[in-house]
Amino acid sequence: MSDTWVVDLADPAAADVAAVGGKGAGLHRLVALGARVPAGFVVTTDAFRAALPATGDVEAPLRELAPDAPIDQVERAAAQARARLLRAVAAGPVLDAVRAAYDDLAGGISRVAVRSSAVGEDAAGASYAGEHDTYLEIRGRDAVADAVCRCWASLYTARAVSYRAHGGLSADAMAVVVQEMVPARAAGVFMTLNPANGDRSTVVCEAVWGLGEPLVSGEVTPDRFVIDKISGEVVRREVAHKERRLVRRDDIPGTHEVDVPDADRDRPCLDDAELAELLDVARRVERAAGVPQDGEFALAEPGGPARVHLLQTRPETVWSTRAPRAATPTDGTGAGPRTALSAVLATLTRGATTPAHTHEGTPDHGG
Amino acid sequence: MVADRFPSPFDVETPPGAEGWESMYDWYHLFGPERRELDEGRFWFADRLHHPDVLHPYDEIQCECWWQALGAFNTRIFAMPPAFGVDQRIVNGRLYVTPVAAPAEDVAARAEEFGKRAGHYYERWDAIYAEWKEKVTAKLEEIRALRFEPLPALEPESTVFDHVGHSAGFRMIRDFDRLVLTMYETYQYHFELLNIGYAAYLTFFAMCRQAFPDISDQSISRMVGGLRVELYRPDDELKRLAKEAQRLGLVDRLSGTEDAATLFAALRSDKAGAEWVADWERTADPWFLINTDPGHPGGYHTYPTWADQPDIPLASVREYLRRLEAGESIDRPTDEVLAERDRITAGYRELLPEDDRATFDDTVGLARQVFAFIEEHVLYIEHWMWATFWAKSHELSRALAAMGEVDEPEDMFFLRRYEVAEAIYDCVAAWSVGSRPRGADHLRPLIARRKEIYTALRAWEPPPALGPPPTQIDEPFTVMLWGITTSTVAEWLRSDAEDGTLRGTAGSPGVVEGPVRVVTHPSELPDVQPGDVLVCPATSPAWAPVFARVAATVSDVGGIMSHTAIVCREYGMPAVVGTGNAVATLRTGQRVRVDGDNGVVTVLEPA
Repeated sequence: MSDTWVVDLADPAAADVAAVGGKGAGLHRLVALGARVPAGFVVTTDAFRAALPATGDVEAPLRELAPDAPIDQVERAAAQARARLLRAVAAGPVLDAVRAAYDDLAGGISRVAVRSSAVGEDAAGASYAGEHDTYLEIRGRDAVADAVCRCWASLYTARAVSYRAHGGLSADAMAVVVQEMVPARAAGVFMTLNPANGDRSTVVCEAVWGLGEPLVSGEVTPDRFVIDKISGEVVRREVAHKERRLVRRDDIPGTHEVDVPDADRDRPCLDDAELAELLDVARRVERAAGVPQDGEFALAEPGGPARVHLLQTRPETVWSTRAPRAATPTDGTGAGPRTALSAVLATLTRGATTPAHTHEGTPDHGG
Repeated sequence: MVADRFPSPFDVETPPGAEGWESMYDWYHLFGPERRELDEGRFWFADRLHHPDVLHPYDEIQCECWWQALGAFNTRIFAMPPAFGVDQRIVNGRLYVTPVAAPAEDVAARAEEFGKRAGHYYERWDAIYAEWKEKVTAKLEEIRALRFEPLPALEPESTVFDHVGHSAGFRMIRDFDRLVLTMYETYQYHFELLNIGYAAYLTFFAMCRQAFPDISDQSISRMVGGLRVELYRPDDELKRLAKEAQRLGLVDRLSGTEDAATLFAALRSDKAGAEWVADWERTADPWFLINTDPGHPGGYHTYPTWADQPDIPLASVREYLRRLEAGESIDRPTDEVLAERDRITAGYRELLPEDDRATFDDTVGLARQVFAFIEEHVLYIEHWMWATFWAKSHELSRALAAMGEVDEPEDMFFLRRYEVAEAIYDCVAAWSVGSRPRGADHLRPLIARRKEIYTALRAWEPPPALGPPPTQIDEPFTVMLWGITTSTVAEWLRSDAEDGTLRGTAGSPGVVEGPVRVVTHPSELPDVQPGDVLVCPATSPAWAPVFARVAATVSDVGGIMSHTAIVCREYGMPAVVGTGNAVATLRTGQRVRVDGDNGVVTVLEPA
């Protein structure tokens, strides 16, 4: 059915993981929460299957492999499978639907990211992290159609084949997300708890000027903000010296590193309004997911008061598996204080273990 | 350079011209050779929070009140597990204190007693606090009823026809004793609830910090605050008077800059104006019984109240009126504050493990109950009681001067309270006999000498602490009451004077530069110019009008929950608090940079 081949991210049909894959469904959830997500559509698993039948048996070269085949044989068989697939899907109504959807997206002049969205990915226990392809900065209807084909074909990279063989997973179908790219003025990552101490009352955010890749790959020291989830205060603000930033230019494809203007180097790359907006959306995402989250975001160029775009979110995996920090000291028996009086006694008899910076109350002894 | 200890109290030199200062204070308040072994090993810090200036001999009573009462309630009555009292010594006219820890081996037994004793109070807190207000209000009425007047040439007829049976002279002796004892008794009540209240409040802070290491002090405070209706009442009355002025059509007449006396005289000339002035005068008792000391209110006899110096509250009324005319709302959004308090409390609670929430609920409930007292007692004791005590003391000093026992009223404050009792007896005996008191002739040289000493002592810059610093300061009350921590003390030991940098606590964020304006007395507030950096021992709510004018504030004492820090955050201006010695180090007119993000003040140019 051609009307199920391409689904807008905001379309309720994009909630169906079997149709849009893990990444597509995750982005739809963000849209449904009211988060600002770059506009886009999903080329569904239906589309993949519709493109495929005419092609014959793509996986035949892989079935001939022995279970313990050496890596070069796997590589060769995977390449044959990809070639078969690309030949098979090169023409036909499915790719025409992809081209039309791209044309509808910002008049067909926007740069898009084309990302694989496998059905099992981003689910607990099988992240498929990096196993399938992503293509950034794609512009033009044919280039987009081509990138979609290559994402499909990435089902049959050697590493994906091995990954599935290792996990006993089958290839199934592949959806592809096509999404506008945000020309980021600043970008970063956030976590809905403090990874340093497990404090769940905070959202910790790191950000840099320009695109977020240098931060994600750990090449630069970002600004760091700790925001109180409940009160909204920015409780810590560590501003880094930022000399270079990654940007894209309209005249040339790809990304470029340029100098940060002097005046911006020691200035925080997110202002209070942007941090407040990020906090709001991070809280909504966490609440909907029911567990602490981490995610990536980008800030579009100024143009409105609201400009935080979420690029993706995932469950946080380290602290989420533990119980939240308790307010009362526990002795391991679960028999901590229950009443205020027992809590007072616990505090007053803790003696030397009371942290010196515990707090400073209203200064008054009476005088 | 960094020293490893502060000077020994036994090595502190007497400033030139202050020789014999010890005679101004009670002998038990001084360091002495008999206690040298004990006192030399202790860490003493200058209590600049409550007593930032040289003590007048008469004002020593203020220190004695809390020395004894705080100690008795911690040590003997409630058995506060980790803490005994706070010991005091006077050196060169300044108060130094050292908290006395309970012996570690006693803590468990004390905790058991504390559980029974404080537990009794916690369970009945609101009822006990209601009784408390009645007790204190009754004491206030008692000392308000005292009258100190020059003794009459002939007793009034009522002494005879009502069969009173005693003389006005006797009553002067008796009433001075009553004045002192009543104040002393009220101080017992002050500590009846204060430190067990702090213990509950501290516990809630500790719990929040345990669960949420990143939580700010303000967030914790907001979960327990918002209930302090009475403490806000004086400010609410100023707002009400501003609205009344608007209603009565007095806006233009109040918009000038003349002083309160001139303005009120002019207003009385017509009906609307007279109505407003009468309203002001009714309101002033008791709501303008507000002490104006920088930092802790009520500590000295020298600071006026709002009622004494109506220019201070008048400035606030004029500011409220200006805002009303500009169409702004000046009402405190009580409902919003309470709704926000409940919202954030529920927000943090939800993040706790489920089996922890009952303890959290119980503790935040208790913290809210005690916090109402912690905030409101200041109005009852520090403002009403002390303002009345000082006013009555001034009344007595005027009577004694009128009778020639001292040359001028202020002289009385250079006598210790025991010496005042002696002077009263001398005066009364001579009056009774129809003879001549030894009085002023005897006291004149003593008082003259003490005035010289007092001036010499004021020129002395007290070190922030004496003796060996402890390796770690973790006694909860020291940390909470004075904001003194291990790192504060380490800062004190750094010798920063040479590099033109002062360090304190980052009280309110932001960085600004500006000229210094040192203010140590509220009478200097009118000198503050827009854009000045206010440098002061501490601030008080009575100083409110100045905050709209200054660019930043630097204080000698206080932590991040001090009045200075809270107000500066509200006004969005930088503050560095608890610098220890900004008032002594900085000079009016010097340009400084105030870095409220890092708690640093940098001198940009010499004075």
